[in-house]
Amino acid sequence: MTLELKNIVKAFKSDVVLDGVSLSVATGETLVLFGPSGAGKTVLLRLIAGVIDPDEGTIRIAGRDMAGVEPEDRGIGMAFQNFALFPHMDATENIAAPLTAKKMGKQQIAHTVEKVAKMLKIDHVLHHKPKELSNGQKQRTALARALSGEPDILLLDDPLRNVDAKLRFEMRLELPRLLKSQQATVIYVTQDYKEAMALGDRIAVMNGHGIQQIGTPRDIYMSPANLEIARLFGDPVINLLDVTPERSERGVQVMLSGQPLVIDAGFAHAIGQSCVLGIRPEALQFVPEGTPGAIPVQIETEAPLNEKTVTLALTKNRREVMISRPSGTEAPSSGTAWVIADVTNIHLFDRTSGDRIEPGQSAAVQGAA
Amino acid sequence: MSDATTSAPRARRFKVSRQLLPYLLSLPALLTCIGILIPFLTAVWYSLQRYRLSQPWNRGFNWGQNYLNFMTDSAFWNTLKVSMTYAFATVALELLLGLGIALLLQKRNRFNNFVSIMLLMPLMTAPALASLMWKLMTNPGFGILSYFATLLGFEDFRWASDPKTAMMTVVIVDIWVYTPFIMILLLAGLRSLPKQPFEAAALDGVPRPFVFWRITLPMLTPFLLTATLFRVIESIQQFDIIYAMTQGGPGDKLTVFQVEAYLNFFQSTNVGRSAALLMILWAITYTLSNIFIKNWLRLREKQRGNA
Amino acid sequence: METVNPIERVLRGVAITLVILFFMFPILWIVLMSFQTNETILRMPPSVVFTPTIENYQALITGKLETSAGILEIAFMKNLFNSFFLSTASVAIGLVLGVPAAYAFARLKFKGSEDIAFTLLSFRFAPPLLVLLPLTIYFQQLGLANTYGGLIWVYQLIVLPLILWIVRGYFEDIPADVEYAYRIAGHSWGATFRKIALPLAGPGIAAAALLAFIFAWNNFVFALVLASADKQPVTVGALAFVTASGIQYGQIAAGIVLSIAPTFALALYAQRYLVEGLSLGAVKG
Repeated sequence: MTLELKNIVKAFKSDVVLDGVSLSVATGETLVLFGPSGAGKTVLLRLIAGVIDPDEGTIRIAGRDMAGVEPEDRGIGMAFQNFALFPHMDATENIAAPLTAKKMGKQQIAHTVEKVAKMLKIDHVLHHKPKELSNGQKQRTALARALSGEPDILLLDDPLRNVDAKLRFEMRLELPRLLKSQQATVIYVTQDYKEAMALGDRIAVMNGHGIQQIGTPRDIYMSPANLEIARLFGDPVINLLDVTPERSERGVQVMLSGQPLVIDAGFAHAIGQSCVLGIRPEALQFVPEGTPGAIPVQIETEAPLNEKTVTLALTKNRREVMISRPSGTEAPSSGTAWVIADVTNIHLFDRTSGDRIEPGQSAAVQGAA
Repeated sequence: MSDATTSAPRARRFKVSRQLLPYLLSLPALLTCIGILIPFLTAVWYSLQRYRLSQPWNRGFNWGQNYLNFMTDSAFWNTLKVSMTYAFATVALELLLGLGIALLLQKRNRFNNFVSIMLLMPLMTAPALASLMWKLMTNPGFGILSYFATLLGFEDFRWASDPKTAMMTVVIVDIWVYTPFIMILLLAGLRSLPKQPFEAAALDGVPRPFVFWRITLPMLTPFLLTATLFRVIESIQQFDIIYAMTQGGPGDKLTVFQVEAYLNFFQSTNVGRSAALLMILWAITYTLSNIFIKNWLRLREKQRGNA
Repeated sequence: METVNPIERVLRGVAITLVILFFMFPILWIVLMSFQTNETILRMPPSVVFTPTIENYQALITGKLETSAGILEIAFMKNLFNSFFLSTASVAIGLVLGVPAAYAFARLKFKGSEDIAFTLLSFRFAPPLLVLLPLTIYFQQLGLANTYGGLIWVYQLIVLPLILWIVRGYFEDIPADVEYAYRIAGHSWGATFRKIALPLAGPGIAAAALLAFIFAWNNFVFALVLASADKQPVTVGALAFVTASGIQYGQIAAGIVLSIAPTFALALYAQRYLVEGLSLGAVKG
């Protein structure tokens, strides 16, 4: 089922939470709503579920306007962040709730519950009441309840938020397979960028009343729409350095610790503008002394981070930069070292608005001329 | 009914029902109470009339005359005085006693819990029956309290039948019935207070009277205020205890508002005066209850927030 | 707090004893009286030593009072029945009317809901005679005078605000998400109310019902004004009984014991909820 939101506005009293949100999700797609708390992600889910009404705008499911359609008629499954299990019903009854609504036969219900419970590995606690379940089991029960009715649209409100780190890690690996097997259109809310990257076919980044950027995880990572998004995605955090692009004989350059770094000539329109240069830690590389364009840095400390190792260093102007490399590769671990930036993997943002500055096409045109 | 394949017009009908639903749910309760509003308006109307059941020919509007008459009506001033005395005496004494007992029982243990449950019994007694119980106990012929009074040297102590002690007697019955109400409310309040200020005070060796006046009482104020207002509103309207005990007598010693209005209506059949009396009582309780409800709401919010 | 000096302990003990004595003595004394014959009651000085008799209760229950002047019919059992019937029916109707309204006020915030809820609450504080006196005249015209139906309707004045405000608090305590979850699972509003809201607010509804019953049972003025002998509950009946039975004090005492026993039993059973109910839901016990 496709899901389409158009110009959704929602305010609580005078507090505007969503201001003109539009979004469309294709059948079978998993869209992650990512953003800090208070960005309106949960409100958006509730609007889609129909438990609250938008002030303005339309919600369409499979092309049909949902205005005035009750939550029970929308064909939706939802898992809540706080689980919202029915405290007076055992796990079986909880999971069976969408099935009893469909007036299914007793045997068929038992069979379906059994199947979903097995898939989520909670078949051994089906007769427990919610208060007898561990947090992880509660979370799986809530998920099972959302899935059991085989809804066309699945809304998952930060389902891993309230579970411990180990379980979160397991579920992050398990969920994509599970979601694919459902063939449902999924909207997944999270505050964890790794979860967003791991689960989303596309990610919608929400911040300040609306969606700031929407795209594939790769799009978001490779071309973040603004400074904020660049900072939110990526671990370790992107290096941000204040620069002012200037003209040079080879095109456009920025000065880093006194060394010119030639960037895409398409940035010509940004010459003289106060900018922030974003360089991902993995776009910095250690090079031998004397390499042209290399910047000297003072190494402070080094930390292995699973499959990569991150070095924290100080530039000549005593600004911190982080350099990331695959673990196991050699690199200086103290003293002065030289690094060079991969110019094809840099981002330029306007310093005042924070918006991304795209290289113009003029580069190619000029180059050809 | 709840099929996902509904068509557009059907969806619109749902929308209407969604907005109407809360009204539909609360309407029966409202209608029941609106039936009560009509007599209320009638009472306002009556209070502006010269209206005696015994003289139906003489009925007619006299506008504010009933109210104006009160100015020079010594019986009215007596009613006002008796009502105020009763309300003040009962609530003041009940507050003192209730607070004292709550402090005695503050600590949670089995004995204290048992006592506090036992003390609820007077509160669960119908006030009219409580009066009857005390009437039996103060009977001059065999009443145990009359006997005690004799032992203490009060010969022929007549309790409610004596104009000098009638007020005291009904106040005692009121105290007996309603002190547990204040006690239980303040006990709940005391037990819900945060522990830290008291622990800190104990560590610093702050003297206990100081702790009581500067920490306990201020923190208990919302509970005290709620209990007081609640009781004042009820006490100024007291009917059951007084009517069951003496029907307002001896003489006009205990003709509080509602008793006086009742007697006016059924004995002297003066509907106009009776209604005007009740309107004045209503004005008093309405003002008090508005203050009360505001205060009560704040307390409710706070207590629910804590839970 | 733990280091209490002996003098204070003694004082506390004395205070508690006095308190218990003052509040329990009347009940104890009336119970003792109810097992005494008129002769032992009238004996001076009073004594707690006597041969208990159940003849007072027998007389009340059989409805036959043997006096020197002959056999007197007493309708006390009828009063007791009236109390049971009026209270039970009022609470039942109060629940039917009040619980859905409480839910509407708690969950489906609607225009004017707070104002309406407060209006209902303010009835709780208005002088009852203000409504009752004009009502006697209306009831005469409507044919409701001295009927159970009329009384039950007026009893809603006591029962409804109590149920409304206590039950509303319990509904508000149910997380909204739990109800949303059930609806999203495909259940209608009504099914959610029945299967989720009602069971979860169950204890609160039971508590409100018990308290409402106690308050209805203890009411005096409504029936005094609106009911004549055959519809009167015990509160009014007992008063009439005093005049009718003349000097049968033991039976009056027995009547009082029978009249207060049901509310005591209910109060003991529901004591956990009493605080909350008495403060109209402001204070949790």
